[in-house]
Amino acid sequence: MVDVLGQLAGGFGAALSPMNLLMAALGALLGTFVGVLPGLGPTAAIAILFPLTTVLSPVPAIIMLAGIYYGAMYGGSTTAILLNIPGEVASVPTCLDGYPMAQQGRGGIALGIAAIGSFFAGTLGVVVLTFFAPFLADQALRFGPPEYFGLMVLAFTVVAGLSGGSLVKGFSMAVLGYFLSLIGLGPSTAEPRFVFGWTPLMSGVELIALVVGLFAISEVFLGLEEKRVAIATTIRNVFPRLADLRQAAPAILRGTGIGFLLGLLPGCAPGVTVFLAYDVEKKISRHPERFGKGAIEGVASPEAANNATSSAGFIPLMALGIPASPPLAVLLGGLLVYGLQPGPLLFQKNPEFVWTVIASLYIGNLVLLILNLPLIGMWVWLTRIPYGILGPTILLLAVLGAYTVRNSMFDVAVSVVFGVVGYFLRKYHWPLAPLLLAFILGPLLEKYMIQSLSMSGGSAMIFLQRGVSLALLVAAGILLVTSLVLVRYTSRRVKQETAEEMAL
Amino acid sequence: MRVAREGQGKVVGGILVLLGIVAIVEGVRLHALRTEMVAGAVVGDDTFPLIVGVALLLLGGAAALVRLPSATVTFPRGATRARMLWGLALLATYWLILSPVGYTASTALISVGLFRAMGGYRWPRALVQGAVTTALLYLLFRVWLLQPLPPGWLGS
Repeated sequence: MVDVLGQLAGGFGAALSPMNLLMAALGALLGTFVGVLPGLGPTAAIAILFPLTTVLSPVPAIIMLAGIYYGAMYGGSTTAILLNIPGEVASVPTCLDGYPMAQQGRGGIALGIAAIGSFFAGTLGVVVLTFFAPFLADQALRFGPPEYFGLMVLAFTVVAGLSGGSLVKGFSMAVLGYFLSLIGLGPSTAEPRFVFGWTPLMSGVELIALVVGLFAISEVFLGLEEKRVAIATTIRNVFPRLADLRQAAPAILRGTGIGFLLGLLPGCAPGVTVFLAYDVEKKISRHPERFGKGAIEGVASPEAANNATSSAGFIPLMALGIPASPPLAVLLGGLLVYGLQPGPLLFQKNPEFVWTVIASLYIGNLVLLILNLPLIGMWVWLTRIPYGILGPTILLLAVLGAYTVRNSMFDVAVSVVFGVVGYFLRKYHWPLAPLLLAFILGPLLEKYMIQSLSMSGGSAMIFLQRGVSLALLVAAGILLVTSLVLVRYTSRRVKQETAEEMAL
Repeated sequence: MRVAREGQGKVVGGILVLLGIVAIVEGVRLHALRTEMVAGAVVGDDTFPLIVGVALLLLGGAAALVRLPSATVTFPRGATRARMLWGLALLATYWLILSPVGYTASTALISVGLFRAMGGYRWPRALVQGAVTTALLYLLFRVWLLQPLPPGWLGS
């Protein structure tokens, strides 16, 4: 405990440096800006802004990415409340009562409650991360290759949670992601694989080019098609009255609890917990008939759950290297790009980095609250930039971002091709997050599998003979079933509320 | 334009099966290479491609045969479709000309085209927006982020 507090204090010392503070603020601002653009969610926000962080050293880069993540989450709530447009499925319940509140002229109050709820839940999540993640990482230190393989299989169960209702689609996309990760040089003999004599393929598919194509370029084309409109509302007061706060506080607490506890399960995305939080709130309310007509609890609870789950997701991400949601999968990719392998060894090898990032999460939450409440008017104004200007600018930014990572025209081609592929896959509701997750985890899964099988002389029994590895495989099975139940429930609820399918 | 989604499983399933065959063929090639090069190794660079190949075949088959959630997908028509196709064509052109022509000229040209085609702005406004965007992106990538951009024939 004292040790953790000491390390956290050291982390704060580093995170409070002017450069890191600037990156946290810049990340929160940029993230909110992109997140507030109608239809663009946190995943697209990180995808668009990811290349810009690659020139920074790892600590400020990850701090900025985390700020972008938090900012985009909050920006998504703004469009859900003011425009009834959820950037991602996690914002759907916020629309249900947030938009009616905006129609009643209480949009500012809804945004204020969303910001306060998000801050509370986000901060509480980081507090638990501070104490729980090192413990988890400590346990995982005894892992050998078979245990890591079990961990990667556990991570694979996340695919079920990200499948958007169809397991065949989810797992198909995941295997496609594994296939793409194989392109390049083989890890054992450095023999070119799937290169077919074409030199650019030797260095493999670049993660950032893939992310930019799948999530940023495809998003622009979808936005163009949907004729996204600017927010016409004028926001005056965003500071809730005491009565509003009193009414929302229990809902924030409950939402935080639900979001956090479920968020600890690898594979439980915010899209799942927000609906549970909303439904629980409605069920225990004395006036359930108010829900859907502008109940403040209907905004407070899912918003808190959303942020609590997002913060809780940092625990399996940092301690075990398992991302629970699409934006965290992109963030995991970010860590790998900077040469940092999330997981137990990260706490051992790069403690300064880990504790600086954890401290910056506290700061990021606070910066977001301080910046966003007074700046809501500006965000609303910025959304009036026509899509005819935003779309081309995002496209150029994305393409140049993909180019500058390796100064490679091949990467530009990859981003454009996957932009088109991503557009069609999204149109037909094939989930992209499993593809990305498998692309990131593929090389690790392969490495640990090869090492384990080399140890056992080719016998797969090694995974069942070692206690921890077996336990992880059993846990993966249990989590898979749990995820399936939760995904079914959420898919049904999303369909009820939006009459369509959405990836979780 | 509304397109039924029933055919989607067959299309994606077919592509996955094709990729599965490619993965297995490549796995077999690598397997032969491993047994030739590394004596006694039980696993190697071929193991994962073979597993992924089999998984692609199985899932591709499942995607083609299993009944996926049905609904209809609407594709844009008319002006919107034209805007999207122009945008895509301009992106592809950007990929072709960025390296030989260089950052400044190619970005100015493509950004004007994108503002005109996707935003529907008149030529004078598209020209101004294109010039401003080119300058801002140059500032961001070259001046602030210190990233090299293709100089091309024009040397900038």
